[in-house]
Amino acid sequence: MKRTGLVYDERFLLHRTGPYHPEVPERLTAVMRGLREGGLLERLVPVPAEPAELVWVQAVHSAEYVRRFEAACRKGESVFDSPDNAMCRETYAVALLAAGGVLAACREVLEGRLDNAFCAVRPPGHHAEANRAMGFCYFNNVAIAARYIQRRFGIERIGIIDFDVHHGNGTQHIFEEDPQVYYYSIHQHPSFAYPGTGREFEYGRGGGYGFTKNSPALPGQGDDEYRRLLERDLLPAFEQFRPEVILVSAGFDAHRDDDMSDIALSTEGYDWIMEQILALAAAHSRHRLISVLEGGYCLTRLPELARNHVQALLNG
Amino acid sequence: MFVSRSMTRGVITATPETSLFDLQELMNAHRIRHIPIVDAERKVVGIVSDRDIRSALPFRFFKEGLSEEERGKFQDIRARDIMTSPVITISPGYTIQDALLLIQNAKVGALPVVDEEGRLHGILSVRDLLRAFINVLGIGEPGTLLCILVEEKVGQLKKIVDAITAMGISFGSVLVARYWEEDKRAVFPYLLTQNVAQVKKKLTEMGYTLIDPMQWYLDRIPDEERRTPPPPRP
Repeated sequence: MKRTGLVYDERFLLHRTGPYHPEVPERLTAVMRGLREGGLLERLVPVPAEPAELVWVQAVHSAEYVRRFEAACRKGESVFDSPDNAMCRETYAVALLAAGGVLAACREVLEGRLDNAFCAVRPPGHHAEANRAMGFCYFNNVAIAARYIQRRFGIERIGIIDFDVHHGNGTQHIFEEDPQVYYYSIHQHPSFAYPGTGREFEYGRGGGYGFTKNSPALPGQGDDEYRRLLERDLLPAFEQFRPEVILVSAGFDAHRDDDMSDIALSTEGYDWIMEQILALAAAHSRHRLISVLEGGYCLTRLPELARNHVQALLNG
Repeated sequence: MFVSRSMTRGVITATPETSLFDLQELMNAHRIRHIPIVDAERKVVGIVSDRDIRSALPFRFFKEGLSEEERGKFQDIRARDIMTSPVITISPGYTIQDALLLIQNAKVGALPVVDEEGRLHGILSVRDLLRAFINVLGIGEPGTLLCILVEEKVGQLKKIVDAITAMGISFGSVLVARYWEEDKRAVFPYLLTQNVAQVKKKLTEMGYTLIDPMQWYLDRIPDEERRTPPPPRP
């Protein structure tokens, strides 16, 4: 059994998005219920979350953006940058705490006290750009974590695997010129789904060309197509790149019962994906893997999806 | 949707006396394929495309270059000798649709944009049109594509647009396909939001059928085209 950490804090529930919004606190409640009912909580090492230090947030986001976000929040604005990004007065503090929780998990893993970790955080992060909030995301938790691991621990090859059903435009753009961070994403085809990027011909830019890979899946596809794409694209890419640490943008919205997408993965399909990712971690990163919650909106499926995900981390 | 908004300004031009080799260098330096030829008053008298240049030079030139002596033979070729004239031009007040239809019918790669006196103001190339249509489709902005099946009767689109607008969601574009089934249309709104679950729910409650956009496509493309081969790996 692996030493698996869990980042969770009740303050993550304080970010409220109002009615008609799918990114609700109940998502986390559902995730935690799954872990509790699966008997996993006592097997996990709790990792306390502290607000992220601004120096790490600003390794990704401009100081101007951070100030603008904080000011919008303090003024009591109800949305930030787009009507998608509903917010309340606590949103800034919660976003900082979510990023900080992920950094704490990275520290525990990189300093060897844990093998891997799951961060049950919100708001999610992978759509957040350096200067723009997008798609329910304010601070790019995974991107901030990758910069932290790079600079604080001198890690030279970080692999990011993003299986949220939407392309992680923010993460891709932040690292598109960086050959030390390989960004891989599998998602619903951008001609049909938000955010309209993550096309097959996007490979990165400049010195980072060849260190971005996207596998778009057409609407209606499910387990078989994901298996085909991951075997064709992810596995060989990571065999070659040999990441020293793996970060996962874990989105559970590709499930067939999740109405945010037209991808129809089964719960077993998600299990298979996680097996492949853990095999990569075992082969290349000495099991070091930090998984961070992104999307996933089906409150009745989230408990089992989160439980299986964390069970897989414990099994290593 | 006017040409003046989408055309390229600051056009690289030449005169009828410009040599073929100078034209070629201009094209390479600015990575362009069309050079309007203007007179002293900037009136357009012709246009030279990269194809006109290629046709004027022997194939060997491109393969292995020419000796000084051979090069001399082509030294005297001027723009006036190879340019297309008269030129098909458009005015800044043309719509993008006009330009699209014209460029298609005339089988040219670019249209000089001129005022009433024929003076050059800009150029609209196929590349500019592509950019304009990316804007029109709204696909440069993050969003989600829906496909709604509606009955062919007046006022359907208004209801859909009103319902979505009431939710505070902006449209990137709306495309309508008129041939779905008998008396049915497929409406494709591109919505600038990630939050589509609520839209789908509302439209369903209003009695519309939402179909997977893919289903619509699949009915129309032959089997062998359904999966495009991946581009070459870097």
